[in-house]
Amino acid sequence: MSSESPRLVQRYLPAQRLIHWIGGVSFLTLLFSGIALLFPPLSFLAAGGLSRLVHRIAVIPFIVLPIVYAILLPKQTKELLTESLTYTREDWEWLKCMPAYLFGRTRGLPPQGRLNAGQKLHHAGTFLMFVTVSVSGFVLWFGKGQLGPNGLAVAAMGHDLSMLGLSVLMIGHVYFTFLYDALSAMRTGLVTEQYARMEHLKWLETLPPEAFAVAREIPKGGEAGESDIKSAAE
Amino acid sequence: MATRYAISIDLDRCIGCQACAVACQIGNELPAGDTFTIVSDVVRGQAGSLWGSFAHQRCFHCGAAPCVTVCPTGALSKWNGLTVIEPEKCSGCGYCTDACPFKVPHIIANSVSKCTACLGLSGRVVPVLDVRSALLLKGGQEPWCAQTCPSQAIRFGERDNLLAEAKGRVAALQPRYPKAQVYGETQLDGLGLLTILLDQPGAYGLPAKPVMPATLTVWQGAVQPAATGLSALAAAVMGLMFIVARRQHAREKVEMHESVKAAPAPQPEETPVAGQNHE
Repeated sequence: MSSESPRLVQRYLPAQRLIHWIGGVSFLTLLFSGIALLFPPLSFLAAGGLSRLVHRIAVIPFIVLPIVYAILLPKQTKELLTESLTYTREDWEWLKCMPAYLFGRTRGLPPQGRLNAGQKLHHAGTFLMFVTVSVSGFVLWFGKGQLGPNGLAVAAMGHDLSMLGLSVLMIGHVYFTFLYDALSAMRTGLVTEQYARMEHLKWLETLPPEAFAVAREIPKGGEAGESDIKSAAE
Repeated sequence: MATRYAISIDLDRCIGCQACAVACQIGNELPAGDTFTIVSDVVRGQAGSLWGSFAHQRCFHCGAAPCVTVCPTGALSKWNGLTVIEPEKCSGCGYCTDACPFKVPHIIANSVSKCTACLGLSGRVVPVLDVRSALLLKGGQEPWCAQTCPSQAIRFGERDNLLAEAKGRVAALQPRYPKAQVYGETQLDGLGLLTILLDQPGAYGLPAKPVMPATLTVWQGAVQPAATGLSALAAAVMGLMFIVARRQHAREKVEMHESVKAAPAPQPEETPVAGQNHE
């Protein structure tokens, strides 16, 4: 193989990708239907309870998906939880390089496993605020009229701050995805070997030969095209 | 500053006949089960020395109204001292039902429901010049309760006048009822419902000092604007950073590519080309 046709490695299974996208759509739906109550120019969406109906429909996949994920993919769930909550000295080294990484520099980063320290913190923050946003949301929903002023304010502030945190994490998530051309990981499940080498060298080194596939054509930006899926599955 | 209007209730004159409650329900065409005003008996003491009065549970039209503070859509607002509703804007979220220190607003048919002093401000933009024309929009003159009260216990008018009258009434009542007082002069920046009580507020189940809970102020004044503002700021900052970072990443990719090409050809297994060892 020459460097002209880079090889690809499998990063996400079809089920993981499907759950990711349904989760992403439900999160954004919840975000924008919720903003109708926070941003006065959008309050017409809330009149008559339209945005509330949308909010309550979108919350179903939001709550159910993590459970589905854990049932369908117990191995990956365990891996995700343990990896995201285990921190080593290398993670600390990585975090020290994070400011440069934010500005597009991967050189000097200590080699990372399947998840880098930033991703681990992102996941840990997401787990935590998934719980707080869900609990405060259900309190606001089912406690309506019985919370009193302080209960209402505490639940609403918990909901607002959880969404602030999740929104910042989501913005960072999208930012890094496009900065480092990682979208293919969630589109086709495959990433280029170059990407894996730059970002997850230790993970790359653990992969068996079968994990690699040869790209027949590489669209610009290093994303893997549809034509690559078959070769990866083989 | 616009004139503040108010309703006053003189509990020395109230005979507990429920005419105001009935007139309110019929005049406002409230659906069955909804009500804006509840008149209940207050009886204390033991047989032989009973004391009785009537408590009116209805919107107090707070000057600084917690329901208006928390309303996310502007369906509740202050208008000339009265707390009015534009039902077309209401989302039925119910925040007002939790925020109100008097537990007055309620949600009926997915929309907030409470006394609006019979003002016909239901969402229409009307050039309201004075409260009379606003009242006329709803086909009445004064609020139904004030029109109907047979003992003139309920009055409607400019707040300053009603307050002065109420204070005069209290002075006249105090020889007989030493604890007589005007409820609503200063609470929550002054209530738009002035009640002449014959006893302490607690005897009527009223909080002596209803306040705007600090948590509501922190939520509405700080936390909520910060949540939306900081999210938007994060998006903007990351957008600008992306332009800079993307260039840096492109440079790094070129460097990486060139270092691959520059590797010595006779020893391909040592080149940094990905995954050669696996083949």
